[in-house]
Parts: sequence; C-alpha cells; structure tokens
Amino acid sequence: MDYLYLDNIDEFVNDQNKIVTYKWLSLTLGVHVNTAKQMLYHYLQQKRNEGSGTPLHATYLVSGKCVENGSKCHKVSVVREDKLNAVKAKMDVTISVHVYSVQRAELKDSSPLYNTDYDAVKENIKNCNKYSTIRCAAAVPMSSAEVQRAQEMALVPPAGKEISKTGLNENTSATPKPSAKQPAGIMGMFASKNASKSQESSKEVKTEQKDDSSLVETSKSKTASKANPMSNLFGKSAQKKADEKPNKSIKEETAASSTAPAIMKQSQTSPKSKIDIKDEQSKVSSALKVESKDTRNKTKRPEVVDSDDEKMESQQKKRRRIKKPQPDSSDDEVVPDSPPVPNVQTPSPKKQVKREHVSHQEESSEVKRRKRRRVLKSHTFVDEEGSFVTEKGYVSESYSESEEEPEPNSQAKDSSSLKQSFGKREEEKKEKREKKTSTANKPTKQPSIMGFFQKK
Amino acid sequence: MATLTRQDLNFGQVVADILCEFLEVAIHLILYVREIYPSGIFQKRKKYNVPVQMSCHPELNQYIQDTLHCVKPLIQKNEAEKVVMVIMDKEHHPVERFVFEISQPPLLSISSETLLSHVEQLLRAMILKISVCDAVLDNNPPGCTFTLLVHTREAATRNMEKVQVIKDFPWIVADEQEVHMEEAKLIPLKTMTSDILKVSHSQLFCTESQKLNEIL
Repeated sequence: MDYLYLDNIDEFVNDQNKIVTYKWLSLTLGVHVNTAKQMLYHYLQQKRNEGSGTPLHATYLVSGKCVENGSKCHKVSVVREDKLNAVKAKMDVTISVHVYSVQRAELKDSSPLYNTDYDAVKENIKNCNKYSTIRCAAAVPMSSAEVQRAQEMALVPPAGKEISKTGLNENTSATPKPSAKQPAGIMGMFASKNASKSQESSKEVKTEQKDDSSLVETSKSKTASKANPMSNLFGKSAQKKADEKPNKSIKEETAASSTAPAIMKQSQTSPKSKIDIKDEQSKVSSALKVESKDTRNKTKRPEVVDSDDEKMESQQKKRRRIKKPQPDSSDDEVVPDSPPVPNVQTPSPKKQVKREHVSHQEESSEVKRRKRRRVLKSHTFVDEEGSFVTEKGYVSESYSESEEEPEPNSQAKDSSSLKQSFGKREEEKKEKREKKTSTANKPTKQPSIMGFFQKK
Repeated sequence: MATLTRQDLNFGQVVADILCEFLEVAIHLILYVREIYPSGIFQKRKKYNVPVQMSCHPELNQYIQDTLHCVKPLIQKNEAEKVVMVIMDKEHHPVERFVFEISQPPLLSISSETLLSHVEQLLRAMILKISVCDAVLDNNPPGCTFTLLVHTREAATRNMEKVQVIKDFPWIVADEQEVHMEEAKLIPLKTMTSDILKVSHSQLFCTESQKLNEIL
C-alpha cells in the first residue's frame, strides 16, 4: 500500500484545517470505508509517534452491548478521545471501536461532524453507500408513485411523533454531563415566553432496545404534540393516538445523560426503517419501531417543527393583537400597548372556533333584525384634556327599505382614530361585519338621498 | 423563480436578507465557539440544513437582532464595508476581531434556485470554518464581552444618527480603542465568492492580539 494517503490526510488536517471523517475520506479518495478508517488510524499513530507540534484531536465510534435502565441495549456512540476509555469500560461487550474523525480543533459539539459529511454525501446521494459495507437487498429507491404515497401517509400519522432533539445529548462525551443540568437551571431564569419554548425543546429521549428482535420505543412529550400545528390540523385522532402511546416524557437533560441513545451513521438502513415506522404507527401498539440509525437526520425534524411552531405562535400572537378591540382612547397619537398575550401556546383551532363563534352571533343577529347597514358617522366629543376630538366611525344602523329612516343604533360603534394606526383591527372586524351584512341582505338597494331631506 | 436584476428593488433586499441571516447565525456560533457565554444558554437549531448553536437568551437575541436590523439597510444600499465582531477582555481591550468583509457586485443578477443552493453551500462552509476556528486561535481570557461594529461611509453614519431605525437603539461612533488592535495578527478563515457577493469577495478573517500571548 502506498503511503501517499498519509500526505493527503496531513494536508487536509493541517493545511486546510478540515475535519476529516472516515466517511468523507472514503468518498473523497474513493476507498472503502474500512480502508478509510484504517488510514485515519495509521495517520494518527504516525503523528502521535512523531510527537510534532500541532495537537490532533480524534473522535471514535464505539459500539457494544450494555445494560441501561435494566434493559439490554446495543449502544453506538461517537465519543471524544478523552472519554473513550470511560465509555468502553461501561460496556459489557465492546463490539467495535474505530476512528471516526481526525481534526485539529477540539470540538465542542457534534454539529461540525455532520456538517462535514453533508456536502460529500449530498453529491453522492445516489451511491453514498458505494464504499460502505452495509447492504440490504430490500433497500431500493422507491418509484415516484410510492414516494408520493409515502408522503401522504406521513402527513396523517401524528406529526407529533417527535424524535429526540438530542443531537447534543446523543454524544455522550462530546458534551460534558454537567452542562446537561445547566440548561435546565439557566433556562429557568428566562422569561416565561422562553420557558414555553424550552418546554417544547426539552423533549423526549429515545430509549433504544435493540435485541435481535430489535424492539425500539420512543417517548413523546405531550406539550410538543399539542403545540404542533400539524397534529392539530389532522385532528383529534392524531392526538388520541399520541396520548395512548406510552408517554415517557422524561426531561431530556437529566435523562439523556443516563440513557444515551445511539448514533449510527448508516444512512442506508434509514429508508427501510422509515417505512417500518409508518406502518407500525397505524396500529395502536405500545412498542414502536423507530429508526434508530442516522439520528442526526432525525434531530432535524423537531427543530423544523420547532421553528414552524414558533412562527405559528408569533403569527398567532400578531393576529390576536390585531383582533383585540382597541380601548377607547381619545389620544390619537399614542399607540396603545396591547396587553401581552398570556397564553402563547394557543393552538389554531381555538382561534378558528372563536371566529366561528363570533360570526355565528352576528349572523343570527342579522337575520332577526331589519336590514342593517354601516354608515360612516363622525362623532365629536370632548376628551379628557378638554380638547375636541372628532372621530369618524362606522356605525351599524338598522333600516328598512319602506321607511327610509335610519335609526341610529350605536350598538357596535367602533371609534377608529383618524390616523388609523390600529385601524387594522377595526377594519378586520368591520370587514367581517360588512361581509355578514352583505351576505344577509339579498337585494341591496341604495337608500335614496331624499330620505335625508324628508325627515327632519 | 424570477430573475432579479440589480435594478429591481428586491435584489438588494434579498441579498441583505441572506447576509443578515447568515450574520446572525455566525455571531451566535462565534459566541458559542469562543465561549463568550456559558454553553448552557445555547440550543441546537437548524440552518442551511445543518445544526447550529443559537442562544436562547432573550436579551442577547434581541440585541443581535436589533443590531442586524439596523445594518440591513446599509447592506441593501451596499454601504456597509464590513461588519466586525469584536471580542474584548475585561478592560475593554479588543482581543479578537471577527471581520466579515462584504462587497456586492455592481451588475449581477440572481436567478434560479440552483444559485441560491450554491450560496447555501458556501455559507455552510463558512459556518463549518467558524466551528473549527479554535484550532488556529488562542484561548480567550475569562470574562470577555463582545460588541458589533459596522464600517461604513460618513454619509451613512449621519443618516443612522438622524433616523433611528429602532427606537432607543442608538448607534454611536466607535472608540478608537475598540477599533484598533495592537499587534494584530491576521488569520484568514474563509473566503467566499459567489454571484451575488463577487468582485472583492466576502471574507471572514480574524485578527488576534499578540499582546495577549505575552501576558499569558
């Protein structure tokens, strides 16, 4: 074997300051993954022996059997070098240990490892397992029809099937354990607004029990599934399912350090197990098969959901502010502070229900009365400071076509400031009412102008 | 996706949006990697399809967002030369400066999604570089703080002082002390050239104070 690769790796690591993972190396040099692992090992040995200046850091992939929480499991984790022996000692049987990556920087968390492989894998996405040893005859790319079907099915089962966000915590040693407790403490100091956010994020931990039968369980957090707009849209059935399943919502910080779910970067098996997931979830069973591999990909999902959720919340918040009736303020210029919305996590159905309720009310009121219309009237009054204020407002009045007497009925008088700074709220309300009036009145006849002159 | 040219109002806005988003992520990441704040306040989030660390602290986030909100119009008009994140020690002497040099090409247009995914790829690479920058940088002393500076033109500063983009968030001219770093060592981190940020490319480099080594 020629030793040019050592120079190559040296160039990547020292000159370009890259993180060299075995997967990236195998894709870059076009070698089998096992060869890449050996290359890295060899390189590391050589550099360590030379004892040259720049320190190198390495991460290792350790896999083995151990007993956690009283159940046997097969654990696979990426660990930093300094934690390697500790993790190995914890395992009953160590099945494999190999170099995962070599880099100059001391990594604080595992994100750069994923980032490194991302582009390389993306380029080779059709054949990223070209150099890998994992083979599965059943894993063939789906036809586009199947893909579509799978996507539809994916929408229906609880989108609240959260996967642990523990990309941070899966790396048992890449993140030190005391910091696990720290987030809980520091998060508590923040405002309640952020407490709700952290609640969502402090989610489930996956406990994996992989025997030969490979039974795996997931735990879901109720708050997460509840707050999830998708699961709300697809209804109560989804929520029921979520509630039925064993809800082991453990706080991720404390639990993760003990349960340490596995990481395996074996992306090939993930398509297969994904299909399994969808089938299983349609049955109501306590044990779920969840993809255990490629948890880095999975950690994406809760984050996506989180960000969507936050967006929804902020939009809802905005909408709520607009809806709130403006207090009768005589001061045109002051922009009133709308009171903070207390319940941040209002799911969308609530709002929809509210809207419907209001619209129902209005409809019924419309039908009973005589025809109502909205008239722009200006109302002059003296405000607190003694100045005259004229406000134009839409007043809904009832009238009938036979008599052309408008009876002023200031039941729904909304005063909108001339500047219309928060007129948006009013407009929306008015628009709703206008809509209702327009739908209630069948033939809208313009009132004759003579009515103004006749009646005095 | 429609082709946008420089003349479109949207062009500047799109570029500014992309850049400001990237700057926000980069700033949070630098805070995490350089350990300015305890790692407990950071949370993993996703950007450009990779995990990044973002802080959860509301005031810190607000500060960064407000700053970038004010910087955005400058970028839109192509008046911002560089955005600098200065890390200072307890005595407010700059220890490190992360300089983002921005320049935009005068005559280019953006079009099609492939270009934006290319930009995403480049930004991803930038983020990766920030993550490993501690290999080339020395450790900072404890108790560091940070501040954000923008290098721009005189006219723009006048404007910024006149029109407060965000209320109660004034920008002041930076002290000489904060800007000038003694015995600075320049460490280039990443250069990125793309069709929307071309000509003189977008650079990220770090200057580090040598003096610190002597003290330590």
